[in-house]
Amino acid sequence: MESLYVLIPLSALLVLAILGVFGWAVHKGQFEDIEAEGQRILTDEAPAVDADQDP
Amino acid sequence: MSNSAVMASPAGAKVDADQASVAAAPGGYYTDQAVRLFALAAILWGVVGMLVGVIIASQLTWPELNFGIPWLSYGRLRPLHTNAVIFAFGGCALMATSFHVVQRTCQTRLFAPGLAMFVFWGWQLVIVAAAISLPLGMTQGKEYAELEWPIDLLIAVVWVSYAIVFFGTVGIRKVRHIYVANWFFGAFILAVALLHIVNSAAIPVSLTKSYSAYAGVQDAMIQWWYGHNAVGFFLTAGFLGMMYYYIPKQAERPVYSYRLSIVHFWALIFTYMWAGPHHLHYTALPDWAQSVGMVFSLVLLAPSWGGMINGIMTLSGAWHKLRDDPILKFLIVSLSFYGMSTFEGPMMSIKTVNALSHYTDWTVGHVHSGALGWVGLISMGSLYYLIPRMFGRTTMFSVRAIELHFWIATIGIVLYIAAMWIAGVMQGLMWRAVNPDGTLVYTFVESVKATFPYYAVRLLGGVLYLSGMLIMAWNVVMTVKSGKAVDSPIPMPAPAHA
Amino acid sequence: MMPPAQPLAQPSPTAEGVAVLDDPLEQGRFTRWVAGPGGERWAESSLQLAGLHCAACSGIIEQALGRVAGVHMARVSAAAERATVCWDPDLTRPSALIAAVRRAGYDAVPDAAAPARALRLQLQRQALWRLFVAGFCAMQVMMFATPSYVAAAGELSDEMRRLLNWGAWMLTLPVMAFSATPYFAGAWRALRTRTIGMDVPVALGIAITFIASTGATFEPDGIFGHEVYFDSLTMFVTFLLGARWLELRSRQHAAETLERALARLPETAWRVAADGGVSAVSVQRLHVGDQVRVPLGQAFPADGVLEQGDTQADESLLTGESAPVPKRMGDSVVAGSSNVGAPVLVRVLRVGGDTRLETIVSMMRSALTQRPAAARVADRWAAPFLWAVLLLAAGAAAVWSVIDPSRAVWVAVSVLIVTCPCALSLAAPATLVAAARGLARRGVLLQRLDAIEVLATAQHIFLDKTGTLTEDRLQCSAVLLTPGAVAQGYTEASVQALAASLASWSTHPASRAVADLLPGQTDSGDWQHVHEVPGQGLGAQDAEGRAWRLGQAHWAGAQAPLPDDAQAPLRADAQAPLRAGAQAPLPADAQAPLPADARLVLSCDGRLLAGFVLEEVLRPGAEQAVQALQRDGVTLRLVTGDTAERARQLADRVGIVNVLAAATPEAKLAALIELQRQGHKVVMVGDGVNDAPVLARADASLAMGQGALVSRCHADAVITSSRLLDLVSARRTAQRALAIVRQNFIWAGTYNAVCIPLALVGWLPPWAAGLGMALSSLLVVANALRAGR
Repeated sequence: MESLYVLIPLSALLVLAILGVFGWAVHKGQFEDIEAEGQRILTDEAPAVDADQDP
Repeated sequence: MSNSAVMASPAGAKVDADQASVAAAPGGYYTDQAVRLFALAAILWGVVGMLVGVIIASQLTWPELNFGIPWLSYGRLRPLHTNAVIFAFGGCALMATSFHVVQRTCQTRLFAPGLAMFVFWGWQLVIVAAAISLPLGMTQGKEYAELEWPIDLLIAVVWVSYAIVFFGTVGIRKVRHIYVANWFFGAFILAVALLHIVNSAAIPVSLTKSYSAYAGVQDAMIQWWYGHNAVGFFLTAGFLGMMYYYIPKQAERPVYSYRLSIVHFWALIFTYMWAGPHHLHYTALPDWAQSVGMVFSLVLLAPSWGGMINGIMTLSGAWHKLRDDPILKFLIVSLSFYGMSTFEGPMMSIKTVNALSHYTDWTVGHVHSGALGWVGLISMGSLYYLIPRMFGRTTMFSVRAIELHFWIATIGIVLYIAAMWIAGVMQGLMWRAVNPDGTLVYTFVESVKATFPYYAVRLLGGVLYLSGMLIMAWNVVMTVKSGKAVDSPIPMPAPAHA
Repeated sequence: MMPPAQPLAQPSPTAEGVAVLDDPLEQGRFTRWVAGPGGERWAESSLQLAGLHCAACSGIIEQALGRVAGVHMARVSAAAERATVCWDPDLTRPSALIAAVRRAGYDAVPDAAAPARALRLQLQRQALWRLFVAGFCAMQVMMFATPSYVAAAGELSDEMRRLLNWGAWMLTLPVMAFSATPYFAGAWRALRTRTIGMDVPVALGIAITFIASTGATFEPDGIFGHEVYFDSLTMFVTFLLGARWLELRSRQHAAETLERALARLPETAWRVAADGGVSAVSVQRLHVGDQVRVPLGQAFPADGVLEQGDTQADESLLTGESAPVPKRMGDSVVAGSSNVGAPVLVRVLRVGGDTRLETIVSMMRSALTQRPAAARVADRWAAPFLWAVLLLAAGAAAVWSVIDPSRAVWVAVSVLIVTCPCALSLAAPATLVAAARGLARRGVLLQRLDAIEVLATAQHIFLDKTGTLTEDRLQCSAVLLTPGAVAQGYTEASVQALAASLASWSTHPASRAVADLLPGQTDSGDWQHVHEVPGQGLGAQDAEGRAWRLGQAHWAGAQAPLPDDAQAPLRADAQAPLRAGAQAPLPADAQAPLPADARLVLSCDGRLLAGFVLEEVLRPGAEQAVQALQRDGVTLRLVTGDTAERARQLADRVGIVNVLAAATPEAKLAALIELQRQGHKVVMVGDGVNDAPVLARADASLAMGQGALVSRCHADAVITSSRLLDLVSARRTAQRALAIVRQNFIWAGTYNAVCIPLALVGWLPPWAAGLGMALSSLLVVANALRAGR
């Protein structure tokens, strides 16, 4: 199963990279005040320019 | 779509181009040209890819339709079909929606819009090159990675540019929080880059021919590490990004549990990497590797269903919207198929089940319930939301046509997968049937003959699905003609967030 | 004229109050300085918001703040109801920020808790990251370990096994180097102080497991054998960190709830200048010798002496004195007490740290540092457990070194690994956290988990009187009519109506008690020329021009000559018929402060008509709570700064035998220390500033939800519901929690006792050890959850 000599170290490195990303996210406050963020996308779009409405 | 065009709609109302741009936009404008182009390209390649699918389905039913012409032969058209629907249709849909969503959720225009246009044209070049090289028989022979090495290099360049534009836009965001959809898109982009580079490692011998850097069962292992992660990150994570944005927007309700969506993301990332071996049950792959694949495929069920429930429950308290809104039908039903496929998949990865299903049409049925049911429907729903807004409208030209499309597509899907389930189980049972003296009961040809009617039904399902796509194409053309390519203003930003 | 609707409520934020925010001294409480992108000096302020009711509110506030010239950034956290604003000190000021929020329709006050919260946020993030690293790595390590479990014998080649082990080792490194460091640090600290806490066996277990598995990875033929335990190790650390994270969140939730109370406008004092002009200044800017005006309803900003005017001061939070203390010119006033009589002028004698208030607070701080160390339940078991395990391992090594020396080290190591105290170290924290959550749901907010143990087992409880056993108000328990009134045709009802309507014009506690006779009455009567004389009472004229008075007996009856029979019933030796059963006599010295059942009298044109008996209001459920506690065998003691007489009366009402009255904070503390010296554990329940030192020194302390801020902040728990019965149920919950902890320990101990012999003989394969550890931990946690119900 020689391919594992590539895949296993690769996935180990990948895990470390992912941990780094999570650490960055935690310290930048990405996981705080969560529920309000779900709401945010619904409130801040400028009204779409509405040309023709033909149902 | 030049900005100066002013078209009259069938109803006679005139679109006033200047009205839109007069609206003061102190925050600037979103750069949606690439979004527009990718969205329209997705429709085009959807039709092409599904048409090729219908052709090869016909050829499986009536092999005479190969006509003895090499570049029309099933063997060469099949990879054209898979590449066209996954990378051309799916890829363009993902690129369109990711560029759209990242701008709206970060409240900024694209980073390096010029590079975004390069990504568009580069990707179209990849598609065209595929459309030419595959029927000509140039192939690396690896599933979903058939394209030869020059195209692979081009894909790498285009993909890196895609990553730069996407992550660059996230980097210049005006909103501190990175919306969950962007996490899914980001993971999809990075994972595909990694998978592509590792799996496509090859030794070229001529401009049109190369050999994989890996060999034998090692190559198989790497291939299916790539193959399943392609499904997991390209076809799942990417489209989940779509789902987490367009369902709340269309339903006008926030995601059911935003916290769950974040947990869903990280749980999915955890487990996807090791499910690959389930494609290689009962092959030369060591037994223990197969077992590992099986165990973690089962584990994968949990996060997948968490995401599905989260998306569907977003409509909680507003189920009535489903009655009247065909776009929501597309989006929500796509999640049901997602749930179904992510249940079927782990079931099929159990060795005893796999002993029946491997190499049969059940696998094809599984793939297509995910592809037509999840990927197809979520893309269609999202594009139905996106395209009018790219052309200055809030709805498509004909909402009734959307409704019609939905029903035709759904019936098509059901016919398709039902036919393939029956065929698959039947094939599996026929192949393993042994006489008391140990000989096989059926010859292989007998199983092929028995499958014929199901291939016909499957073809019908595919034709219906293609027809739905054609209706969508018509609707899109009419919408574009009666709309106006205007860039939306970025809402006045709140004071810059850290 | 309408009577005041809300007496003595929080002073509403006036424009001047807001302006004081711009004083740099005040700003320091909620503002810090940061560097802008170009290196300029920017201010970053934290504001607590009010009025957020919808999802869009935070966006509206952000925009409102953003529009203020000079604001660079505004960020609102909807969940925390807080705004962080970055602004340019050259262009704008905090008062402008608050004004902008108000214009948008909301309200804001400075958030002085910001530094504490920033620290907590930091801790929270770090804890979450540690947990994630451990969990993520544990998952991946488990994947690497699975092939060894599922492969048939001989199927997995040695190189493949080594590759998988190496991968697992790589991914265990972050867990050891980062996630598990709190345990190593804790163990190191414990060893340095020659104590053995639970961190020591945990750290030892983790370290030994890692070292042994590392050895097995790189030298499978070496002394450590070839079995690796990375999956058990990482899973163990994940469980521990999970429990710790839950504990942290529950503690921080309690702290946050308290901090909301810290958000209030800065204390403003009204300084009178030499020319007579009055200006609003921050309390922190007062100097000795300043003259300040103290309006009705405000707290005295400093210790001082009354220079002009007569008034009464509510010193209950400071001394426990339940009745307002009259102050005449020349009397001293105490910082922090409330002015409940009339506006006065005060000459400042002591400010800041020199005031009586601050003295009490610093006494409390020093008491905190001398508090008896509460040894955690788990820590008591840690040392014996550790010695037992080490002994066993050493014994096993010794035995095997005779039988088969090559296995000696390995067996010793496997004993240590198998006994890794996962369940043991989870047993207590998981239970205590669950119990804390259950308590929080029932109105008792725990700040220190260790208090649960003391609460469950302590046999002595000190109860404060004013504000703890009693509510912060008086009630009228009896109305007595004079014979003269009866003769004139007055009934109890008509007298009540008259008195209540007149009393509603005053905010004095005694008046409020009378006004409450007819709660909800809106008819304020047809009174004219209403005037209040501090320390004496209320006077007014009715429609017929008669002069009515409600107040102290000698003043109310002073105007007109009093017929003898009208005075008689109110004398101690009266024989005349009385309505209701008033007990204590009016003291001969009418100048003294009103006794607990003090009478107000109602007179018309100098003729006494009725007397009102006032007493303190017991908190609902107080009697039942006291009885329940005493039935449980707890010795209760009433400790109060109020007079012996009032203390005795209340103690009798509620059923407490031991009373310590007229006690200064020092005296209360001394009583506590004496009991502790005798070896008892004491729980203190209080609310006032004068209780703070005792709350700090007691083995466990609970503060009432409406008590003084300084008491609430430093108590182990806050009874947010202010119901004394919740104290009883909290105690029962604590006892149940302890029982569950005991069960958990028994289980964990049994599990270890069974596994050790198996390990000694070599019958415990690694997968069984890992599985056993996981299952027993889950069992412990599941059992612990019962503590919350």
